[in-house]
Amino acid sequence: MDKKVELVSELLREIEVDLGARDLADLVLRSLVDAITSFKPKEFMEFCPQFDRLVNIIVNTEPKFGILNYHFAKLKRDFNSEYCSSLADNKWRRIVLKRIKTILSEFRMQAEKLTKHSEELDVEGKTILIHDHSHTVQDALIHYKNMGRKFKVVIAEQDYDKTHDNIEKMHEAGIEFQVVPSYMLSHIIENIDMLFFGALTLKDTMDFVLNPGAHGIIAALHVEKIPVYMFMNTAKFSLWHSKPRGEIFIHKHKRTHYKKDIEYDRIKYSHDRVPAEMFYRIVTNEGVLTSEEIQKLFEKKLKQYNIANGNGVAKK
Amino acid sequence: MLSYIALIIFVLAFVLIVFEVFDKSLIALSGALLMVIIGILTPEQAIESVDFETILLLLSMMLLVHIASKSGVFEWLNVKIASLTRGNPLAIFLLFSLVTAVFSAFLDNVTTVILIVPLTVELVKGMGKDPKPYIFAEIIFSNIGGALTLIGDPPNIIIGGAVGLSFMDFIVNLWIPITFSAIFALIVFTIKYWKHLRPVSDNLVELLIANIIIKKIRLKFVKTTIHTDFVVKVVAILLLTVTGFFLQTLIGLPTYVIAFSAAVLLALITAKRAHIHDAFRSVEWSTLFFFAGLFVLVGGVEHSGFLEIISEYIATSTDNLLWLALIVLWVSGIASMILDNIPFVTVMIPVIFGIQGHMAGVDTSILWWALSLGACLGGNGTLIGASANVVSVDLANKEGVHISFIEYLKFSLPLTLGILGLCSIYLYIVIV
Repeated sequence: MDKKVELVSELLREIEVDLGARDLADLVLRSLVDAITSFKPKEFMEFCPQFDRLVNIIVNTEPKFGILNYHFAKLKRDFNSEYCSSLADNKWRRIVLKRIKTILSEFRMQAEKLTKHSEELDVEGKTILIHDHSHTVQDALIHYKNMGRKFKVVIAEQDYDKTHDNIEKMHEAGIEFQVVPSYMLSHIIENIDMLFFGALTLKDTMDFVLNPGAHGIIAALHVEKIPVYMFMNTAKFSLWHSKPRGEIFIHKHKRTHYKKDIEYDRIKYSHDRVPAEMFYRIVTNEGVLTSEEIQKLFEKKLKQYNIANGNGVAKK
Repeated sequence: MLSYIALIIFVLAFVLIVFEVFDKSLIALSGALLMVIIGILTPEQAIESVDFETILLLLSMMLLVHIASKSGVFEWLNVKIASLTRGNPLAIFLLFSLVTAVFSAFLDNVTTVILIVPLTVELVKGMGKDPKPYIFAEIIFSNIGGALTLIGDPPNIIIGGAVGLSFMDFIVNLWIPITFSAIFALIVFTIKYWKHLRPVSDNLVELLIANIIIKKIRLKFVKTTIHTDFVVKVVAILLLTVTGFFLQTLIGLPTYVIAFSAAVLLALITAKRAHIHDAFRSVEWSTLFFFAGLFVLVGGVEHSGFLEIISEYIATSTDNLLWLALIVLWVSGIASMILDNIPFVTVMIPVIFGIQGHMAGVDTSILWWALSLGACLGGNGTLIGASANVVSVDLANKEGVHISFIEYLKFSLPLTLGILGLCSIYLYIVIV
């Protein structure tokens, strides 16, 4: 892998784990605005080839971030060579920044639309289980609270920081919540009415990529026929033909027993994959969909953007 | 006989401190105890040898810095600076070097590098660049900045305490050599590491990466809870303390009283946010005991009359003040590169007093500035020359950046010799 691609991959991975994919995209687009603002090429015509290089880095990271590929593919289409040659020396920066800012505001509007569509779910008097720290799910819950709906949240513990992020958000919004260790869920499963999840992306294999631990929880609730909802912006779709489990990173390290002199291998995985059919409904910015509907929408978008084959942005 | 035993105890303690056989505080305290048990000093004389003013000043600054750090004000400032650089390597280098120097002048050097080095490594390494030149700069500038004020570096605290010099005395007498040393270091760094520091404003990829990292750092900071009232109180007291130091002669209070009042006042008004027990726990008691032990050790040697002999030898070997100042500067500079500069300065103080005694009628105050410049700036010469150097290397190591002794020496030694050369020119101009 190219050194720069490797560097950016690591950086984006770290931020995604911390912030989630949606806020990662927002952060990268804002950074792009700042970068272009301070960009001082010898000749303004250097912008387009340099932007091409930048897009090639962003869309070829490991793992690929669907949401970033979507936005950067859009920008690359906008800033093509024809467009570049039409740019005037004194105006190019303003025009380019205006376009990026438009994409950024469209992206934020998509998030608002998704929250609006989440109103279609009946959460009145329900107990909702959450596990990952999806900001989309958090926004929906806060929206319900602001609408005056009465519901309770159970936070299934996972990574320390992510659990605390959920606790913080629920506390700030004044949402009634309890926290339970993930491995003790079976004891309260009968009190759970619905499960909300967010995801990093949806693959062409119709698998959602979620936080580790999600697979087991979803499977357990599926057995009990408790509806599982996915909240995802369609901009997060991975509109290319994916490698099997390409987005999952395995972190192996040595650990020592806390008391005794025993060293052992510890393995951690970055993400889980869960088939779309395991979700009762998928709440998107384009409506609340079934797994069949999301598949149709995905295929339509794949054809429309055809990133993998047509635009030469992301390689297969 | 007792005189020789005192000298042996001191030399032995010095060697054990240099080779870090035990913790240095333990060595100094053991040596001090031996001085009393053997009868070189009476318990009363031992207590009298301890410069409690210096110890109280150190204690106060440790308390002040601990409580101030808890407020997050320094991290906030760091994040602001990182944002200001917009990812420009030269701006990162210049701003962080200058901030290190300014922080070091008013905080202790170790606290300064603890605050700055990890952030620099995250920023520069994240951009895919080598953070070593930046870390080297922060080491060098922490020692340069620390040399400017009475509270900036332990040798200055010891000199100030022993001689009764004020905060302003240090600034007035040292700002010229320190400013020129800083400019010289900046020029040398920029030339030597231009490849690393070259602006990236014509490279869109580099700019994007830098801006992503800056936003990431900012987000990390935003997550930490900052209490505005705490920050306001800390900033107010820090400003008040520095103003107190500047106006020390007008107020008529010694530095340690100003610092101690500030520490107690800050602890009082921030009692809800920073518990005083935590502040006391953060005090480096081993350092304070090391100082106390060292004062007794030097008191014992002084009592034996050896330091008087050395002073007499130096003073009678030449009556040329410039020569004497240059000897003090270079000997303390070179000694500080390899030895702990604190015991060295503690020994040098009675020696310089002795020299002054032999040169009655001549203004020999320049010797204190020569000692301060040599001891503080000489510490830049090697990785073991000052505590901030060792701590910086440890911090960098934790972030996966390995700095070897030789790697640092190749750059730092010629630079330090150059800086000492500049200081020699300053001494020449002042004396001649």
